[in-house]
Amino acid sequence: PASAQDKPVTLKLSHWVPPSHPLQKAIQDWAEDVKRASGGTINYLVFPSEQLGKAFDHYDMARDGIADLAYVNPGYQPGRFPVIAAGELPFMISDAHTGSAALDAWYRPYAAQEMKDVHYCFAFVHDPSGIHARKKILLPSDISGMKVRPANATIGAFVVSLGGTNVQASAPESRDALERGVADAITFPWGSLVLFGIDKVVKYHMDAPLYVSDFVWVMNKKTYDDMSPSQKKVIDDHCTTEWAQRFASPWADFEHAGRDKVKAETGHDVYQLTNEEVAQWRKAAEPLKAKWAEGVKKTGADPEKAFADFTTTLEKYKAGY
Amino acid sequence: MSSDSVAVIGFIVLFALMLLRVPVGMAMGLVGVTGFGYLVGSGPALKLIGQTSMRTVTDYTFGVIPMFLLMGAFVSASGISSELFRAANTFVGHRKGGLGVATIAACAGFAAISGSSVATAATFSSVAYPEMRRYGYPQSFATGVIAAGGTLGAMLPPSTVLAVYGIITQQDIGKLFVAGILPGLLAISMHMLTIGVIGAVRPGFLPAGPKSRWQERVQGLRDVWAPLLLFVFVVGGLYGGIFTPTEAGGVGAGGAFLLGVARGRLSRADIRASLLQATRTAAAVFTVLIGALLFGYFLTVTQVPQKVTEFMTGLGLGPYGVLALIMLMYLVLGCLMDAMAMIILTVPIIFPVVTALGFDPIWFGVIIVMTVELGLIHPPVGMNVFVIKSVVKDVKFATIFKGVIPFIAADMVRLVILIAFPLIATYLPSRM
Amino acid sequence: MVGPAPQLGEKSIGAAGASAPASAPPRSFMDRIIDGIELLAAVFVGLVAADTFISVLLRKFFSTSIPDSYDFGRMLLGILIFWGIAATSYRGTHITVDLVWSAASPRYQRIIDIFATLVLLFVVTMQTLMLFDKVAQTRADNVLTYDLHFPTWPFFAIAWVGDVSAVLLIAIRTWRLIFQPGSFSRMPLKPVE
Ligand code: NA
Ligand code: NA
Repeated sequence: PASAQDKPVTLKLSHWVPPSHPLQKAIQDWAEDVKRASGGTINYLVFPSEQLGKAFDHYDMARDGIADLAYVNPGYQPGRFPVIAAGELPFMISDAHTGSAALDAWYRPYAAQEMKDVHYCFAFVHDPSGIHARKKILLPSDISGMKVRPANATIGAFVVSLGGTNVQASAPESRDALERGVADAITFPWGSLVLFGIDKVVKYHMDAPLYVSDFVWVMNKKTYDDMSPSQKKVIDDHCTTEWAQRFASPWADFEHAGRDKVKAETGHDVYQLTNEEVAQWRKAAEPLKAKWAEGVKKTGADPEKAFADFTTTLEKYKAGY
Repeated sequence: MSSDSVAVIGFIVLFALMLLRVPVGMAMGLVGVTGFGYLVGSGPALKLIGQTSMRTVTDYTFGVIPMFLLMGAFVSASGISSELFRAANTFVGHRKGGLGVATIAACAGFAAISGSSVATAATFSSVAYPEMRRYGYPQSFATGVIAAGGTLGAMLPPSTVLAVYGIITQQDIGKLFVAGILPGLLAISMHMLTIGVIGAVRPGFLPAGPKSRWQERVQGLRDVWAPLLLFVFVVGGLYGGIFTPTEAGGVGAGGAFLLGVARGRLSRADIRASLLQATRTAAAVFTVLIGALLFGYFLTVTQVPQKVTEFMTGLGLGPYGVLALIMLMYLVLGCLMDAMAMIILTVPIIFPVVTALGFDPIWFGVIIVMTVELGLIHPPVGMNVFVIKSVVKDVKFATIFKGVIPFIAADMVRLVILIAFPLIATYLPSRM
Repeated sequence: MVGPAPQLGEKSIGAAGASAPASAPPRSFMDRIIDGIELLAAVFVGLVAADTFISVLLRKFFSTSIPDSYDFGRMLLGILIFWGIAATSYRGTHITVDLVWSAASPRYQRIIDIFATLVLLFVVTMQTLMLFDKVAQTRADNVLTYDLHFPTWPFFAIAWVGDVSAVLLIAIRTWRLIFQPGSFSRMPLKPVE
């Protein structure tokens, strides 16, 4: 639909994982499709590995125009994006493909408020995973006294409420932290567990959707506003719930395959939880939901309604646990 | 204007500012932000300043720098350099050139707790030089040996330059430190061997001192074992996986503090001065880190690193040809500027080339530090030489450079050995 | 670099930091303020070391940790660096390339010094303005610490005040360089490499 008069632009796409990560390809595929649909007027450059700024700063980078589009983990900064943190609550999302679609479909109206200083494209999740540790963790009470590297602020609060302590370490530092006894356990997706060599240092793996991290793909407002109507339409067509799922899929498949790799390794205990054990975890996580509701209330939104909407959306997309 | 021309102009302005003595970090920050603003927009460029400054100074892993600086300051203030020298001297002082060997050994011991070559050279100019002169060592040899011994400061862990390399290239600082151990030991042996060779080829050039009794030797060791044990504990803990690098620094600083107080060697004034010393140096290093990151973001948007990598790998010289070219460039740059400035200015451009050629990043860290350390002692500009000259007032630059030539030759040989046998640098970190 | 040259040597460290050389004029009010700023930064170095040291001990021997010691440690680091930069900028102990400067005559050295300090003043002023924006933004964004959910912006604000004092000190340095030449000693020895 793009016309020849459209001013050509080159978008700077920034993320913070290495170029070998499946996300790099997802971003390239998305950008290639944008380029094709725009008749070549929307070009792109991908900057991986924090080349343009640190992981924690990616939301600000998109907001400030340092990057045109950025990959963001809103859970890195406790308190800043309270609403979307619903996706991080334990035992909510069981599947990354449908879960990404559900999260995006539910969050889209809230994003206009919570992420108002960027142009929201879509939200997605990675493959839900459990906790990997040096000893077997079956019940919430097992966390007491343990040092855990949490994936996001919600899990961090969970660990503290169960009597454990948090260890902050970036993904590449995590293996080191476990090896040196700085941490005893970690929440980490399966494929990355193997990629970062963490399977060399932890042997017990809970196979349950204890946690998942939310991500958003956001754009600088001015970059979007400066585009021609036809270019804007191309971007709009690529910032949809369908694209959220498509974008998340290669990564989800990569992480999912990791589970079988770990199972196949000798000396590893990959265990499931009984219904009774899951019930205990759910009960232990109740205060997290209350805490989440408290944070949402502060923003002026209605937490009851938001949570009810979230569970219905998860059901609709068959992504609930 | 194309992004290539912007990059070229950026470099020219940067060099002009630096030659006009604008602090290196500030010059890089200024040029980086201006260039970024030209290419991306002034709004984003201004935001980049606040974001990068705050993110850099509040990065927990960068805490490794002030921690090791503080450990070095505490141990120095509680007095170790003259004790080290005295202890080493009781063992080898009676041999021909023995005071020189003792200087190298004491420099190595001091380097093990100090992260800076210049600090090592400065310290031993006042500790070892007068002794060597008293026993009739020629001025050129005495100053040359201190200049060379000083370079051990950045080779042996802890090392500020290696830490900065690790930060810029996102390599594990703990592994880099451990990688420096064997090459550092090689450097010590080769420096000592060089003294032996000088003594052998020039009879009568190097005198011998009096022989010490065993009682004196034991006495000497008693003064130095505690701080050196602290070093073994800290680096051993790093190697054995007990501490992260920042923690190792904190433990080292805490341990040095307790040790100094327990031995009655750290007065309140010493403690205060050590804290000040660590603060000053840390502030200077973080200023260049912030500047290097800002300049790096500018280079990223010009795509210069990618283009340089494509150009260098497309030359058809092969990996070792390109490596030789890079090292030659560093030797030339070493005529103009000091180690830290060279590392922060060039590594963002050179590092992608080196990894694209398939070289090990940890190994390259050791190689590059050895190369820039050579710049500290080779003419016409060498920081170690300047420092010695500032302490030993009556010596000529030419005399120091003359004394340092045999050691430069030995360092060149060592570089070749390290390139031929990379395992010397990579073996220990690979076992971590 | 101010004070006697071999600050890096042992024991002389004490002399350099604790008191002015005997031959120097009595310390002015300004000098004492600068000493105070530097000392404040130095206290934060000690705090960061203590935080790290105690955290390691607690972890190793009691298998526990200070809540938020990671966040506190890194924010204290930020404070110490900005306060340290203030003192470093005033004393002229930044990392510089002295090739041209050391070959120049005293007259040209003075001109170079004034130019360099003016650039420094400009850069640090810009930095301070943009850091204010960063502190305000951090407050508006409600960024909290990991464990205790304590707001992070007050720490950033304390660090920012360090940068404000850097601007003031560099302004004073510039003024002294222009109107009171000779109040800085000329020692090309630098603390790092
Ligand atoms: Na060292
Ligand atoms: Na040189």
